[in-house]
Amino acid sequence: MFLTMKVAFRNISRQKKRSFLLAGAIAFGMLAITLMNALTGGAVVNIRDNFSHALGGHVFITGREWTDAGQMIMKIRPDVNLDRLLEDNASQIEAFTKRSQAMPSLIFGSQQTMHIVYGVDFAEEDKLLDSLVVTEGSLDELGANDDVIILPQPVGERLGVEVGETILIRLETLTGQQNVDEVKVAAFIKDQEELGLSAAYTSRSYLNTLLGMDPHEYQILNMFVTDLDLVDGFAKTFREGLRTSEEEGEKDDEPEVTVTVAGVPMDPMTEPEEITRWEGTRYQVMNINQIMEAVELIVGVLNQVGLVIFLILLVVTMVGITNTFRMMMIERTKEIGTMRAFGMHQKQVKRIFLWEAVFLGLLGCLAGLVLSGLIALVVGSISLNADPSLQFFLNNGKITFRLPIGSVILNTSLVVFTSLLAAYWPARAAAKMSPMKALSSHT
Amino acid sequence: MAIVELENVKKVYTLGKAEVHAVRGVSFSIEKGDFASIVGPSGSGKSTILNLIGCIDQPTEGVVSINGTRTEGLKDKALTTLRHETLGFIFQSFNLIPVLNVYENIEFPLLLGKNRPGKKGIKEWIEFLVEAVGLADHMHHKSNELSGGQRQRVAIARALATKPEIVLADEPTANLDSKTGQSIIELMKKMNSELNTTFIFSTHDRTIMEIADHVIELLDGLIVEDSKRSVEAGSIS
Ligand SMILES: Nc1ncnc2c1ncn2[C@@H]1O[C@H](COP(=O)(O)OP(=O)(O)OP(=O)(O)O)[C@@H](O)[C@H]1O
Ligand SMILES: [Mg+2]
Repeated sequence: MFLTMKVAFRNISRQKKRSFLLAGAIAFGMLAITLMNALTGGAVVNIRDNFSHALGGHVFITGREWTDAGQMIMKIRPDVNLDRLLEDNASQIEAFTKRSQAMPSLIFGSQQTMHIVYGVDFAEEDKLLDSLVVTEGSLDELGANDDVIILPQPVGERLGVEVGETILIRLETLTGQQNVDEVKVAAFIKDQEELGLSAAYTSRSYLNTLLGMDPHEYQILNMFVTDLDLVDGFAKTFREGLRTSEEEGEKDDEPEVTVTVAGVPMDPMTEPEEITRWEGTRYQVMNINQIMEAVELIVGVLNQVGLVIFLILLVVTMVGITNTFRMMMIERTKEIGTMRAFGMHQKQVKRIFLWEAVFLGLLGCLAGLVLSGLIALVVGSISLNADPSLQFFLNNGKITFRLPIGSVILNTSLVVFTSLLAAYWPARAAAKMSPMKALSSHT
Repeated sequence: MAIVELENVKKVYTLGKAEVHAVRGVSFSIEKGDFASIVGPSGSGKSTILNLIGCIDQPTEGVVSINGTRTEGLKDKALTTLRHETLGFIFQSFNLIPVLNVYENIEFPLLLGKNRPGKKGIKEWIEFLVEAVGLADHMHHKSNELSGGQRQRVAIARALATKPEIVLADEPTANLDSKTGQSIIELMKKMNSELNTTFIFSTHDRTIMEIADHVIELLDGLIVEDSKRSVEAGSIS
């Protein structure tokens, strides 16, 4: 075993140019597929991060209940069960927010715009205030007064309003009544999302009043988890913990997700029509991975296309390997005869050739990986001034490469397998050669 | 008991429709410790007979026995094992493995078998062989860094590595000048007396043949003379 490996390894460097060409072809294929995998792998992570940033969390809980009038509304009442779940899982929660939200018309003079507004409990969400970049006015008034609003700078500009002035806010309550109020613009904040997703903020109790909810109620519980890899299990804990006994018998599936532009992760209007009413609140627990499924589907397809191209490259390389190995067999006929005379068995001869193929394949893979690492390093350090829509795939304007170890193993195995396959017939032919004929050959 | 025995051995090669009778009924035996020479003109069947003794070819008819084992009907695996355990080879064109150095070439046959001696034992033995063939200074040279005579010395050491009963050498001096060829035969003779290994070599060089104590002369695939020289008498009988 060791002897055949040693001879095979030395044989690689025997015809350096030839080995270089074969390993180079393999390296090229490996480079292409690795960059592809790493690029999509990085994009998935970036999209997920950007999504959770835009959506304000990794796990989203909403509640629905039926009014006496037979309308389904989306709200969560103070719930000891939910609070206990939050407490029990506190170690896995980085931060959580309980917010109301609406998509009201904001009106100033003749100007009018629709924009997402979050109702926030500023006492609870002290970190939010730190993270907002005030461009005009100040946030001091928030604690004191309820009916003030903070607008993203572009929204303020669109309306032509100045800080300190009052605008009209018009929205529908949860049960569908029109509601209008006057609200003072306390400050402008920087539009951080670049995606036009930055929200306007007001106090939760104020927004609740406008929506027809009690001050301590809210609509969405958003959570950032400490370990994103465990998010599915974490969401499941909540899903199961919040399921009512009534729900037990019903469908067990994870809920379907509909993402709306406003950053609301679900749309109650898409409920199936034959749904039966229930008592109390029913919760839906969604997590970022469910939203990512569509993205991952596309990435999966991309990677599969990449894999097919890789396989085609490998098949082309295989032809080269087979031909080269056939040539090597002829060149080494006398040597093989000598080894056989001294007592080398057929399978050992075969093994020399197969080991050679394995080494060649591994060499190519290694070269391809190193090359793609270098390219990733260079490309990943360039700050791209890309179009905002492209920013969603990037991490602070930079392309991120993330190579799952699984793809490295898969691609390397494919290379080694095809190399072995390509070398198999020449190896077999070399092994089957009669030692007498091999020794009397003149090559 | 004879270490090599051929009984009415025939070998026919078929070249398309033509048949070549390379060996046409040959019987002889070689005793353990013999320094035997097979001589004859080109095409007389020397290589064919050495290939049959070396178990890298099978007779068309007749029996070849090596160290008491009849080789007829043996499968490739058994023949390979038999070669590994009882035979060593020296070739006309040296046939060293180019990717291995002197030490590794000599070590090579030892690493092929199942029951290998320990690493330390191997090292001592190979160093002894390298010393014996006079190449202690070239231990780590590759074959392309050696002269023809040096290569053949390595080949002699390699042939002896597994301590085989028999070493076969098909025209070991044909690619060397006569002086170097002479020294190679003398080295083989030295190893023959020191290790009591049976050597069988072919040649068409009369002067080299003279050193043998058992000469089998061939012509057209038949033995024309089989003469032994007793050690005491010092002459061919
Ligand atoms: N593989 C083969 N196929 C066909 N004919 C062969 C084969 N090997 C040898 N012969 C023939 O058998 C005869 C004996 O050949 P062999 O090689 O044994 O002669 P030799 O005595 O070794 O000659 P030389 O001194 O030239 O090496 C020759 O006529 C040769 O052409
Ligand atoms: Mg010959």
